[in-house]
Amino acid sequence: MVADYTVRDWVTVGLFGALWAAVEVTLGSYLHVVFPSQANTFLTGTVLGGIGVAVALTGRHFVAKRGSVLLIGVVTALLKLLSPGGALLGPFVAIVAESALMEAVLWPVRAPRRRAFVLGGALAVAWNLPHKFIMMRLMYGKGVVEVFTKIVRDGSQVLGLDPAAAWLILAVLLLIRLAVGGIGGWGAWRLGRAVARRLGRRDPATNAPGR
Amino acid sequence: MSPWGCLLFTGWAVPAALLVDGRWLAGLALGEVAFGLVARPRALRLLRRPRFWAVILTAVALAPFLVGQPDVRIGPFPVSWEGLVAGLEMAGRAFTLALAVGLGVASLSLSDLVAVFDRLGLRGLGFATALAMNLLRTLHEMAAATLWTIWLRGGMRRPWTALRLFLVTSVANTLRYGDDVVNAASVRAFDPNAGAPATVALRRADLALLATLLACTVALLTARVH
Repeated sequence: MVADYTVRDWVTVGLFGALWAAVEVTLGSYLHVVFPSQANTFLTGTVLGGIGVAVALTGRHFVAKRGSVLLIGVVTALLKLLSPGGALLGPFVAIVAESALMEAVLWPVRAPRRRAFVLGGALAVAWNLPHKFIMMRLMYGKGVVEVFTKIVRDGSQVLGLDPAAAWLILAVLLLIRLAVGGIGGWGAWRLGRAVARRLGRRDPATNAPGR
Repeated sequence: MSPWGCLLFTGWAVPAALLVDGRWLAGLALGEVAFGLVARPRALRLLRRPRFWAVILTAVALAPFLVGQPDVRIGPFPVSWEGLVAGLEMAGRAFTLALAVGLGVASLSLSDLVAVFDRLGLRGLGFATALAMNLLRTLHEMAAATLWTIWLRGGMRRPWTALRLFLVTSVANTLRYGDDVVNAASVRAFDPNAGAPATVALRRADLALLATLLACTVALLTARVH
């Protein structure tokens, strides 16, 4: 997969990995302080996921080779892991899973395509929803399933809702994530082309020279 | 102990933390702390962080109220003994898992990481990671300079245009900086696909750790069978 990568490709992978990591470390740390992860399962992951997806997919514009988005994600995850206070399994797994999902969509596509960017971005941010449950199941074991069930049952009783409404809430949360990820992918498509024009480089999608 | 030894320990401790329970989990937690004290005391700084304990203790605090039927009273609160036991086990699992990862990560410096990738045949990935790590501060400064320029030229009066300008300029500047890095690497004849890999030698302590972990695995499996 990486045998045909040139020095320029590796440098670009490092640059976009650093950009994504800068967002994760600065904005991520800020959001985690304002919205602690125990109290919030929605905002932080969606915002960081949307921006991360946009950065990684913009990188795909400039390294239009298979595996580049996954490599950008791996670099970001390692930087996050090595950052002060970042030795946590959750963000590492989330970043690698998001980039793997984007890569899975982009892998069969030879040249970058807008719909692949949008779909890849949507799937990557949507991962945030099951990620929370999967990581908690791994971290805390099977007892956490009983805790979740009890929270949903008691919460719906307090709010006077049918427990089945929990599924509806989850579906709405998933839809919002899909939309944010899709916008991130679409934004990356536009941003990549705008930057290519600014730098006078060829647009990888149309192979047209930059102005 | 070399980075291989610490990675081996993390690679063993993470699945072990997911598979064992009860007193074996407590034993694993003690084993991890002992390993940290002997091999990498710096890694145990993780235990001083309030956020780490907040994650761990959430399980102990919530489970007695949410798991099982209340059968014991602690002060004014009716709690479940079954829930308290489940909460302790959940906290123990989270503790061992977080510490296993922390021990592996804290033992790796950036140069160790690059050498490990080099040894695994991913020389380019090590180069990209080292480059990215060294670029973080520069990127931050470039982004700040871009933002101030837009601000001082009155760009914030139209927020969407300002955002677009900021993103395009930041990414374009980053790529221009990348051109300089590519030139510098070319001048030094750097080739990510050629050259001898860096060496990360195995030490006696790594082999002793391997033997200990194999013995622990056999003991765990034997205990599970019986």
